[in-house]
Amino acid sequence: MFLTTEEEQSLQGENGEAIQLAMSVLVKLGEMYGADRMIQIENVHVDASSYYGISDAGMEFVEKLAGTGATYKVPTTLCIASIDFESCSEFGVSEECVEKQLRIAQAHSTMGADPTWTCAPYQCGSSVEFGQRIAWGESNAIAFVNSVIGARTIRCADFVDICAAIAGLMPEFGLYLDDERKGSILVRLEDLDTRQFTSADYAALGYYVGGVADSLVPVLEGVSKSVSVDQLKAFSAAASTSGSIGLFHISEITPEAKNLDEAFGGEKPSETVIFGEDELREARHSLATQDGADPEIAILGCPHYSVEELDEVARILKNKQVSPDKQLWVFTNKCGKQESDKKGILEKIAESGAKVICDTCFILFPTPAWELGSIATDSAKMAHYAPGLGDFCVSFLDKEQCIESVTK
Amino acid sequence: MVREMESSRIRCNTLLPGVARGTALVTSQPICFWGGLDPKTGTITEREHELKGQNVAGTVFVFPTGKGSSTTSAILLESVRRGTAPAAIVNLKTEPILVIGAIIAEKLYDCIIPIVDRPEQDPTKVIRSGDWIEVDASEGEGWIHLR
Repeated sequence: MFLTTEEEQSLQGENGEAIQLAMSVLVKLGEMYGADRMIQIENVHVDASSYYGISDAGMEFVEKLAGTGATYKVPTTLCIASIDFESCSEFGVSEECVEKQLRIAQAHSTMGADPTWTCAPYQCGSSVEFGQRIAWGESNAIAFVNSVIGARTIRCADFVDICAAIAGLMPEFGLYLDDERKGSILVRLEDLDTRQFTSADYAALGYYVGGVADSLVPVLEGVSKSVSVDQLKAFSAAASTSGSIGLFHISEITPEAKNLDEAFGGEKPSETVIFGEDELREARHSLATQDGADPEIAILGCPHYSVEELDEVARILKNKQVSPDKQLWVFTNKCGKQESDKKGILEKIAESGAKVICDTCFILFPTPAWELGSIATDSAKMAHYAPGLGDFCVSFLDKEQCIESVTK
Repeated sequence: MVREMESSRIRCNTLLPGVARGTALVTSQPICFWGGLDPKTGTITEREHELKGQNVAGTVFVFPTGKGSSTTSAILLESVRRGTAPAAIVNLKTEPILVIGAIIAEKLYDCIIPIVDRPEQDPTKVIRSGDWIEVDASEGEGWIHLR
């Protein structure tokens, strides 16, 4: 791989210990993927941010970097934490977890990160634009930013994102390159009116697409232009859960797919699959481990709900109360929380007995709720990962049904 | 089982240089470190994996490849911190993320885990769990020595 004189010096340690470590990781990564050179990047989203995800070793890593005086060279946002910073003691997270999460936060902050604490930075804190080279972690965010915004990132694994932020560089391979962004498999929606699709339907579609495309770039045809940003978010999270989807195109909707021809870069699809009513039903069914809905807890906000989604929750909750033996948890970020607070949405949700939880995610938020037996969710990603936490039964439902299943 | 005994060493591709020896722990099934390996103990916890319940600590861990999780590097780093990591890793094809975890472990904990892949013979067919083997990986080429 070609390195400039300055990059070579950084690799040899002439610009400090942290930059040397970052460069040795990035150069090795580039060599393994056959990159020709390094490129400058303009933005980073760090997934190595939650204590439950990166453990003590990850904490010691960021503390060591911060201790050497390392700083993030480009605007850097943070993915979720293992606590809600404003209500650390409310949900039964251990003191050890709180203390260590605060240490991780301190280290990232010392290096200059923006404490966004969200898996949906594209809705809170990031102003990334079409065509920019960036280095993002967190699979839903990667799929969304590549596909819906048209910025370019590979699927950064834990710590690669941190190294990229410290060096301001990434090896050029994969989705940074035009050729790698061409679609290769066509998913054609047939006999479906996607104007009637809920977010859970889009999640089921994404889950199906991730399963058939795996690591290829899928192109969808037949999605209504009425699809919302939040629905694309649900789709991104699902597709990158069942497959290693870093980029998808939706014909006539996403920015690199003005039409099918552009989406495939002038080439023919290698394969065409049809998604119709049967596939939708099967995909929704495959996400549930139980039929019907009798959950002890409903989990919404995976990825983090926007203010629009919180508003929808408040409207559905009108004149309802969370049942005494049940719980409703809605996860969001600072933007969602502050905006909905201003609009009186938070208050309405709180009146019902539901909890709005900020900065974190049910899967990385170690609370006694993990001991419960059954959950309802409208998120394909949550439905996929929750059973691994313990012995959860999962009901995969629309937002409205989720809420109805725990209220009266 | 037929074992090919004619060769006492196998040439491989070095991904992370170093020398380490230990008892082989061999599987022909891919493994996902996230949720599949408990860094507190080194025990394999992946459901339905043939090595479930076995311990990787100090072994030369021979497995075909990882199963994609972006958290693989964090799990490997934590197992190095706790002293439960394998002594060396042999793959058919290594996931780059595993190497990233090992590079950081070397800088953070001064612990070298040699990693080699693309062996000239399929080691999952030639090496058995319990065999004492050595991985000798230098920049140019790597070798697995069977004893």
